[in-house]
Amino acid sequence: MGAMETPPRPVSGSERSADSEGTAIQTSGLTKRYGQDVLAVDDLDLTVYEGEVFGFLGPNGAGKSTTIDVIMDYVRPSAGRATVLGYDAQDETREIHERVGILPDGYGLYDRLSGRKHLEYAISLKEAGDAVDDLLDRVGLDAAAADRVVGGYSKGMTQRLALAIALVGDPDLLILDEPSSGLDPNGVRLVREIAQDHAARGKTVFFSSHILSQVEAVCDRVAILNRGRLVAVDSIDGLRDALGTGSTVTLTVDAVPDTLTIEELAGVSEVAVDTRTIRVSVDEATAKVDVIDRIRDDGATVLDVTIEESSLEDLFSAYTGDPPTRSDSSEVAR
Amino acid sequence: MLAAIRLTIARKEFADALRSRTIWAIVLVIAAMTSLSAGISLLVPDVEGGAEMAIGSASQFAGLLVPIMALIAAYLAIAGERESGSLKVILGLPPSRGEVLLGKFLGRSGAVAIGLALGFVVSGVVTATLYGELPVVAFVGATILTILLGVSFVGIAIGISAVTATRARAMTLAITAYLGLTLLWDLAPNAVHLLVTGEMPGGVVPAWFLLVQGLSPTGAYNALVQQLLLGSGTAVEARIGGPAPGYLDPAVFLGILFVWTVVPLLVGYLDFRRADLS
Repeated sequence: MGAMETPPRPVSGSERSADSEGTAIQTSGLTKRYGQDVLAVDDLDLTVYEGEVFGFLGPNGAGKSTTIDVIMDYVRPSAGRATVLGYDAQDETREIHERVGILPDGYGLYDRLSGRKHLEYAISLKEAGDAVDDLLDRVGLDAAAADRVVGGYSKGMTQRLALAIALVGDPDLLILDEPSSGLDPNGVRLVREIAQDHAARGKTVFFSSHILSQVEAVCDRVAILNRGRLVAVDSIDGLRDALGTGSTVTLTVDAVPDTLTIEELAGVSEVAVDTRTIRVSVDEATAKVDVIDRIRDDGATVLDVTIEESSLEDLFSAYTGDPPTRSDSSEVAR
Repeated sequence: MLAAIRLTIARKEFADALRSRTIWAIVLVIAAMTSLSAGISLLVPDVEGGAEMAIGSASQFAGLLVPIMALIAAYLAIAGERESGSLKVILGLPPSRGEVLLGKFLGRSGAVAIGLALGFVVSGVVTATLYGELPVVAFVGATILTILLGVSFVGIAIGISAVTATRARAMTLAITAYLGLTLLWDLAPNAVHLLVTGEMPGGVVPAWFLLVQGLSPTGAYNALVQQLLLGSGTAVEARIGGPAPGYLDPAVFLGILFVWTVVPLLVGYLDFRRADLS
């Protein structure tokens, strides 16, 4: 899945204040303490624009869910404030919840109710006009499964149903907190498609995850949160550029030329030679072709070329100082 | 629109009670126990029987049973959803916390009320069969009072459920409420009497003794049932040996039941409104 094109911003929202036009989520100085010791979110300033798919990254316990909890008014901030679609998260909760769909972290469903009843309940509470079957279709739940009680659902089915509930009323902002947990690869792809599909309708998606590849694949921009603090906000490419961790071009040649001038090229940051392989680190995309051209000019015959994009894992550890996330790392008490 | 949302929640709560057979359990227990206690006065010799007495003893039984059933029917209404996480799904939708709380109160109250009413209908039929008559006013009155008692304990249970974050804690508080308000409260007037007069109460008690006795929901219910069956003057005058003061009027005890319904709900709401759910 390639990078998304940012669709045109919706022109709705005439009832919002002018300065918030185009802003889906904004937090300023947002801080949440639990007791004396736990600082879950620390002075967070974050802006998510309408129409983008925004990735919210961080290891477990970084404060992602707490931020969402404040945005959704599940918890009250200790300091600072948050607005959603121009509405105050603490004072205009109803306005927000009418326009937002959420797949919360640590949610539960009603074991004794069927999937269909869940959706009917959500539709009626949101006073929306969705057809249950359309929602089921979007999340890949079949009608037979929807008629069974949720108590017998697998984790993946439960997650799909919760996703369907989040989609009720075609929300302007879709907040997904670890949406891929419990899903098989098909389910993970489905989440990605739902996010992209939603963005393609001009809606905003806020995608929180500790699994970097999922965010990388769908998001226009990414914020990295660590220990309650925002450490970076940028596009994936922008993050790469900023860190200088671009790509590595590995060339296999018949013989390494005596005069190697690759290092003079713009965008080349590092060259390492090992008998017949030359590894060149570049931090500009265009430098890759230049490297190949130059080495031919230098008199070598190129036998093979491999290009590795640095993964978001590398970026991530560069920012957070942690090794790449293990998906089973334990949740820090929030 | 807001009323519609509360009704939607209330309807679901009611349907849940039907599905989980809570209502039928209430019907069954109430029907069985009140019928039994109505019948018992027939079996005991030397007790002046009569349909009214039967209703009286059925109500006395109900005074013990209804609080525990109403508490069971509602004490997990919010705390259970908070622990399971389904509250996050509901509160991610438009309803406010107040609407969720009120919707749950209405739905569970409705379930308890209908369960009690059906149970009483059964015991009414049993009473009519055993005694060959049914004093309709007394019977309907006792049914309504029992429903009010049930609703008041649903209010207490919802209040408890709103201030607790876990099932275990909600259960602890519900049991405490039952023991305190239904069983231990009877000791309160005696203790006060002992403190004030230096002796235990005898056959005739001061008027305030009856008020203290009736300050709990169950106490108020018992007072109201007695006044209903014996006539409000007679019931009180026989106990205090003189004319009844204004504060022993049935309206006062109805007010007490009302306060026990609304205040726990309000306290629960004020705490729940500000609570961090995570």
